[in-house]
Amino acid sequence: MLGYIDESRQGTPVDGGVLRRRLVGDPGTLNAVLQSAGPEQEVLAYLSRNLLDFDSGMNLVPGLAEKYETLPDGRTFRFWLRPEAVWEDGTPVTSADAVFTIRRIQDPKISSPVFKPVFEGLEAVQTIDARSFTLRFRDFYAYRPMAFVMPLLPERRYAGKDFARARENRFPISNGPYRLVTWKSQESIGLERNPKYWGERGHYDRVIFRIVPDDAVAYRVLASGDLDETRIDTSGKERALSDPAVSSRCRLVEFYNLDYNYIALNNRSPFFSDARVRRALTMLLDRGRIVRSIFHGSARVISGPWAPDSPAYDPTVTPLPFDPAGASRLLDAAGWKDTNGDGTRDREGREFAFELLVSAGTTVGREIDETLAGELRRVGIRATVRPMEWAAFIERVDAGDFEAASLAWSASDPNPDPYLYWHSSQWPPRGLNSGFYRNAEADRLMEQARGERDDRRRLAIYRQLHRIFRDDAPALFVTNASLKYLFSRRTRGLATSPVGLFGIWPGPLAWWEETPAARP
Amino acid sequence: MIRYLSRRVLLAAPTLLGIVILVFLLLHLAPGSPVTAGGESSRRVSQRAAEEMRRTYGLDRPLPERFGKWLGRVARLDFGESFVDHRPVLERVREAFPYTLELNGLALLLTLGIAIPLGVAAGGRPEGPLDRASGAMLFALYSLPSFWAALLLQALFSIRLRWLPLYGVVSDSAPPGWSGLADRLAHLALPVACLTYGSLAFYARLVRASVAEARQADFVLAARARGLSRRQALWKHAFRNALLPLITVLGLVLPGLLSGSVIIERIFAWPGLGRLYFDSILSRDYPVVLALSLLGAIATLFFTFLADVAYALADPRVRDGTIE
Repeated sequence: MLGYIDESRQGTPVDGGVLRRRLVGDPGTLNAVLQSAGPEQEVLAYLSRNLLDFDSGMNLVPGLAEKYETLPDGRTFRFWLRPEAVWEDGTPVTSADAVFTIRRIQDPKISSPVFKPVFEGLEAVQTIDARSFTLRFRDFYAYRPMAFVMPLLPERRYAGKDFARARENRFPISNGPYRLVTWKSQESIGLERNPKYWGERGHYDRVIFRIVPDDAVAYRVLASGDLDETRIDTSGKERALSDPAVSSRCRLVEFYNLDYNYIALNNRSPFFSDARVRRALTMLLDRGRIVRSIFHGSARVISGPWAPDSPAYDPTVTPLPFDPAGASRLLDAAGWKDTNGDGTRDREGREFAFELLVSAGTTVGREIDETLAGELRRVGIRATVRPMEWAAFIERVDAGDFEAASLAWSASDPNPDPYLYWHSSQWPPRGLNSGFYRNAEADRLMEQARGERDDRRRLAIYRQLHRIFRDDAPALFVTNASLKYLFSRRTRGLATSPVGLFGIWPGPLAWWEETPAARP
Repeated sequence: MIRYLSRRVLLAAPTLLGIVILVFLLLHLAPGSPVTAGGESSRRVSQRAAEEMRRTYGLDRPLPERFGKWLGRVARLDFGESFVDHRPVLERVREAFPYTLELNGLALLLTLGIAIPLGVAAGGRPEGPLDRASGAMLFALYSLPSFWAALLLQALFSIRLRWLPLYGVVSDSAPPGWSGLADRLAHLALPVACLTYGSLAFYARLVRASVAEARQADFVLAARARGLSRRQALWKHAFRNALLPLITVLGLVLPGLLSGSVIIERIFAWPGLGRLYFDSILSRDYPVVLALSLLGAIATLFFTFLADVAYALADPRVRDGTIE
């Protein structure tokens, strides 16, 4: 039951019906460049095709571009758009649209949190003719083509308008299989088939997104038959399995993706600058118990900054064991002993006591933290779990202003490159290595991997890195937990991927409704 | 009377300014910023992108400058645009306001419609069987947390009995005309019930206490002596006197029509002002939070003023300045 699902070849899809999906919040915009992921992405998947797409096996496949070519310099790419691709108003999708979109992403006055980072190294963009254009980057980067999973916007529609305030941001012009019919703020978004769509049409006549912020309510709406899917957590799963009303109507879809939980440590702090202490902390966290008690078995212990399904993950790098005695010896060796007999270890007059920050919105992060704090207390370390409201929490994390912080890594693409998060050039305030990790050997390997053109050799470098990450323990890598959804039994054609059910092609566009008549 | 009212108006201006400064400071001094507050699902942005965003939002300017600019724009009734969707703030408020007004207005009417007769009846015979029974029941209702009651009511009426819709404002397939109205009312039933039952106790006990006190007064006894029935004496004389504290309280409660109820709006997925306010605080959407705070403050001052006027109209002693 727990594993990848691919129903793309099961049954014969029928057209018709209405798909009712859940959104946790109102999208801020339906301008694909301005989106900040989350609800926006889920709606845009129906309205806005990407240049390229990931399929469920994480291969890049044609989207609006029918093909692309990497020039011999390895940093220039030429794209050919599909001649049949048109906007909702019937006008063709052109290279001018592509150039316009990329220029907007690069515009310093425009906030494009999803695409800005991947186009930071762009040097030039040039149209060749109406259907083709080239992009030239400053240097070769192994995972560059992943940047091309990007939308295009219609240049003519935005001409002469204030980009962030254009009417098109709320009433987008589709180039995808569906088009927007209604958007009632904070209530619902309704889509219908785009009659001008140039590709294979979607199976549902209509798609309705309902905005249901509360998880408990979404569960009930699903149980009442008014929604076809919702994501759930471990407690929701337990509840659904024992609830006949839900299990008769819904099925559980559970699989592993590339997300994982970890506890970031500030490697510059007097507590965690010593790798022995960081290792000791990892050995004090009973990850086996976390898998059993917090995730009820559906999670896997990890030993580095990747989930086990990432190609960079080396399964022979076994996690450090849960070993309080061994951890105590490491702490002693690092000079942390209880010299004043107050029950807390100290060194050079400093007590080993720190705050463990966690976002108040996550129960899982908090339970992991409490588990760790409990074990630490037993060996004479005082960790105080401090829940904080999200915006305040992440501001401190990004600034590197913390000792330890519980975080969840969420992968939106299969890029395994750890450079942005663990290379010493990426310390705050410049980058996102907010734990101030520095290891000369790891730095060198990360740089080498980015420039390595051969996939097998690059993965070999990551496996070397993985071993360093485990032994150096720049953070406490905890678990890769399963992703859980409840789906109406009528909804067929699901395909899961390492990045989840969404963000892949065709993804939700392959779903269809099984009607009683069509059932074999 | 004129002097009394003009003093009230003059006092309102500095109060308003004080509230606005306080909200502005609290909001900007709180940790977190619009740059980082995209929510747990959003991407973390690089420092360079964050700085660009700060510049775009004008957050790199000193606080007094930002306050001055904002106040200047507000004076021209320009509340700016939301950081989240770049739409004018007033447009977002205008969208959400009718929903909250509808929900809270109905709840208030229903509350008063039940609480006043119940309070008068209970106050008419203090410690009588009705007074005791209603007192115990109201106290029990008052103690039920509304988020819990909401989930319970949903489970019963929407899931088990299937009489009422679970959430939302209208059904997708709501027909126009009378049956459409019925659909809307069905959607309102549960949230209105949740907002009503808790405040019932408060109003009913308030009315009851005032009526119980007034019924002992000489003028009520005199009315009875003039031959009025018990009922007439209670409603015409005792209740009218009991109105005074109710007016004062209403002046404080009516602005709530504008602020909405965060919890009930969330549970019933009701697109009102409470949800807008809450979401805007979480996403540090400063312009929206400031506008809603300012509008809330103005409404509070306005309704307090109205209450003062009503008070003066209801009590001749206030009107001619004998007491204040």
